[in-house]
Amino acid sequence: MNNDFLLLMPMLLVGIGGIGLMIASTYESITHERMAISGMGLFGVAFLFQLGNTVAHPTIPYEQVFNGMLVVSDFTRASGMIILGCGLATCMSAYTYFKQNPFCTSEFYSLIAFSACGMLLLTMAQELISVFIALEIMSLAIYILVGYNRQSQTATEAVLKYLMLGAFAGAFFTMGAALIYGGAGSTKFTEISASISANGYAGNAALIGGSFLVIVAFLFKVAAFPFHAWVTDVYEGASTPITGFMATALKTAVFAVFANFLVLNNGLHEGWINGLFYISILTMFVGNLVAIGQESLKRMLAASGIVHSGYLLIALVAINTEQFTGGVIAYYLAAYSVGTLGIFAALSYLGGEDEKRMNFADFKGLAKVRPYSAAAITIFLLSMAGIPPTAGFMGKFYIITSAISAGQIALAVFGIISSILSMWYYLRLIVNMYFHDAVDTFETDTCHKMAPVCTMVLALCVFAIGLYPIII
Amino acid sequence: MFEHTLSLMIFLPIAAGLILLLTPAGKGIARVTGIAISMAALILGVDVFTKFKPVGELQFTEFIPWFPHVGINYSLGVDGISLFILLAASVLLPLVFLLFTTKEKGYYANLLIVQGAMAGAVCAADIILFYIFWEIMLLPVFFMLGLYGGEKKIAATLKITIYTIAGSLLMLAAIIYLGVAYHSQFGEWNFAISKLTQLDLNGGVATLAFIGFMIAFAIKIPLFPFHTWLPDAYTEAPTATTFVLSAIMAKIGVYAVIRMVVPVFDEDFARFALLLSLSGVFGMMYCGIAAIAQNDIKRMFAFSSASHMGIIALGVFTCNVQGLTGSVYQIIAHATSTGVLFLFAGIIEDRMQTRKIEALGGIAYHAPVFALYFAIALLASVGLPGTSGFIGEFLIILGAVKFSPFIGILAGTTLIIGVCYMLWMFQRVFFEKDNELTVTFKDLTLKEGICFLPVVLLIIVMGLYPQPFIEKIEPAAQIQLAHLADTQHVQVADSVNAQDHGHLLELNK
Repeated sequence: MNNDFLLLMPMLLVGIGGIGLMIASTYESITHERMAISGMGLFGVAFLFQLGNTVAHPTIPYEQVFNGMLVVSDFTRASGMIILGCGLATCMSAYTYFKQNPFCTSEFYSLIAFSACGMLLLTMAQELISVFIALEIMSLAIYILVGYNRQSQTATEAVLKYLMLGAFAGAFFTMGAALIYGGAGSTKFTEISASISANGYAGNAALIGGSFLVIVAFLFKVAAFPFHAWVTDVYEGASTPITGFMATALKTAVFAVFANFLVLNNGLHEGWINGLFYISILTMFVGNLVAIGQESLKRMLAASGIVHSGYLLIALVAINTEQFTGGVIAYYLAAYSVGTLGIFAALSYLGGEDEKRMNFADFKGLAKVRPYSAAAITIFLLSMAGIPPTAGFMGKFYIITSAISAGQIALAVFGIISSILSMWYYLRLIVNMYFHDAVDTFETDTCHKMAPVCTMVLALCVFAIGLYPIII
Repeated sequence: MFEHTLSLMIFLPIAAGLILLLTPAGKGIARVTGIAISMAALILGVDVFTKFKPVGELQFTEFIPWFPHVGINYSLGVDGISLFILLAASVLLPLVFLLFTTKEKGYYANLLIVQGAMAGAVCAADIILFYIFWEIMLLPVFFMLGLYGGEKKIAATLKITIYTIAGSLLMLAAIIYLGVAYHSQFGEWNFAISKLTQLDLNGGVATLAFIGFMIAFAIKIPLFPFHTWLPDAYTEAPTATTFVLSAIMAKIGVYAVIRMVVPVFDEDFARFALLLSLSGVFGMMYCGIAAIAQNDIKRMFAFSSASHMGIIALGVFTCNVQGLTGSVYQIIAHATSTGVLFLFAGIIEDRMQTRKIEALGGIAYHAPVFALYFAIALLASVGLPGTSGFIGEFLIILGAVKFSPFIGILAGTTLIIGVCYMLWMFQRVFFEKDNELTVTFKDLTLKEGICFLPVVLLIIVMGLYPQPFIEKIEPAAQIQLAHLADTQHVQVADSVNAQDHGHLLELNK
């Protein structure tokens, strides 16, 4: 039992820390800066704890904790580390962001901690009700965070859209869970798997319908086609650090549980492999089409997030249910998260007051005025585009390798074509930053270095993860 | 010198370039660093050349496990084919730093990075490592072209970048396919090029992978019909970038075909060789005819360079030792002649502020030394006997005739087009009447003359005494073709004979 708690410690730390931060925020003497620092400290400690757990138990696959309700594997630990790292980086960029956009109240950081707690639970959940609870813990906090800027129309629009559609997704999930319970007689993944192995999958209508609804809910959360339409508006409306957090940590958590769900049984995976095949192709291409037309950086990044979801779906199609390690998915998520968070951290301080600089055209000539920031953004973009020696390249390499190994040559080729298309909008920003004359002075509040430091650290991480893939 | 010579040649320039970019160093420091580092690379290159033994295997090998669980290793080595591209890069790049004195810091730093990346691409013995350097190579070109290029630089930059990246990503898919195929045939992951040649590849997917590789390299070389980025990029790029692109980077495309496609995809290569060589010959003609019509010296050289790349590629596609040896020889000859011609075009542009042929004339009266150097490089480029260009073209045409007399005759006659545009241009720029502009043309200074002297001498030495070069190339060329010989007995059987080649060289002398 002791051991169980030790394994869950990062999640408990973040959860209790979130409550602590919430209480602390009621005191007037505790300022936003102090809250931000405490948030960073919380995530930092939890991250180190998770790292310690990963190093101390390097090779135990599928360790069941809490009576089979949760699982701790290398995959969940790696996903947990990514989520906690994202939380840390988000706190750092928020610190600087709220210097220029003064609508922050101190509860902000406790909400981030709550959502991270839900995400950690989600990565480990091995039971449908736990998945639902974790999903809701995460989502409720995220809803509030999306609409945090109450004065802003776009934020209000974003939160309404997200809340309505998110509620639908939650309802779909519950319905699906109920049907699966009806079909398999249990909500535990292991027992569902045993039931499918014993009775077969294809003939069981309740199971098929139930898993369909559950998969729909996951596809909604990761913004895969055809549930991607909300992404651009919601990402644009949310404040920059939150957009970054949603794009990375949330996606990591949902992909982790999605993978855990799909690998629970070979029959289930086989049953959905064709559907996911087409969805991943459509997700990549629709995402690219949406991204190419955007003028706003945040909307472009939202659409590029759709494309990356498509790549991750390739990995999901290609997973081997017998020997699942999740290494490919975790690695790609780490690479993607570092790149995306890095850009959002940079936007947090370069955006200026009221996020006035958010379009491609606003960043013309950035390299002439702020060469280091421009270089960092270039590194992130190259990583997202998959140019070696960045992390994004190795991520793409692993995904395509897994696809070809699984015999999915067509998926690999479509993935490659999609990355060629995506070069267009990544290059467009680089061209704007470097090859045009400066139209702006890009002055920012220079006394708060937190977000710039975070950006530079993440830029180094891009290479560190690319050259020493420790996760896989 | 010591066991990490190749690593040093790769990472010394890259590290120096990155440090220059990250620190607020000035132009002067950047240029001095550039000279020092490129000279160091030259010394290392000469060291490698003198210690190189004329055998076919990889030498100066280095091996460090990198991602052992997927069989990716940091493994380097040079053979007779890569050696000369490595040397060409280390001999030619110091010229740029010495000649162009007033550029910005980023210009010199990017040049250093590209130098290191090119060395990495030719030394890589692991295909993933090759791919990594292949992509890194593009980045400095992207920035140099976009930052310091001519008027239409952004369009040209996007064109070359998207073209090249599209090619590389297709190649990446093909590379991964090879890795997976190796895993399924031999039960372990390995991406070493020498291991991949043992693969037994057949079937539709293998052909697709072959096409993936060929498209990537055809774009880089560039081979007709993937050449459309070249005129824009070469014309808009600053002189040093054009020089790097034409003199070395295009050659790495050919090198990659020799090194990766020929031994790995032996069956598919033999099957498509005729089509590919027709594409090479057609590119030669098309770009040559296009060059005649150009009014801008640099653009004309761009087309001429594309035309020459057609013949170099043709040598590879002939699938015999003569053609392949000729190709490698021609790679060096072309790097020294056309590369230098681009530098001369840059000098004309610097001094006259124009590249229009009709605005120039009579330069030879005012700058005899410049005209002499220009003429030597130009004659080497058209393949006059006694210059390096002759040996290479002769071997390639010989190989082509053996491969298919029709293609050989076609290629041989096409060479005349090269003479047409080059001499006609020379006449209009250097002879005829001088005008107000060209009266002011200053001849090469002593320093510039000394800079160019070694390269000009190299052109002549390689034209008169090719033996030391060919004896190093040939064993490696035979190894590359060994696999092909198994699949194509009839055509290659007579050419593997080494004596055959001895005759040939005597004929040349």
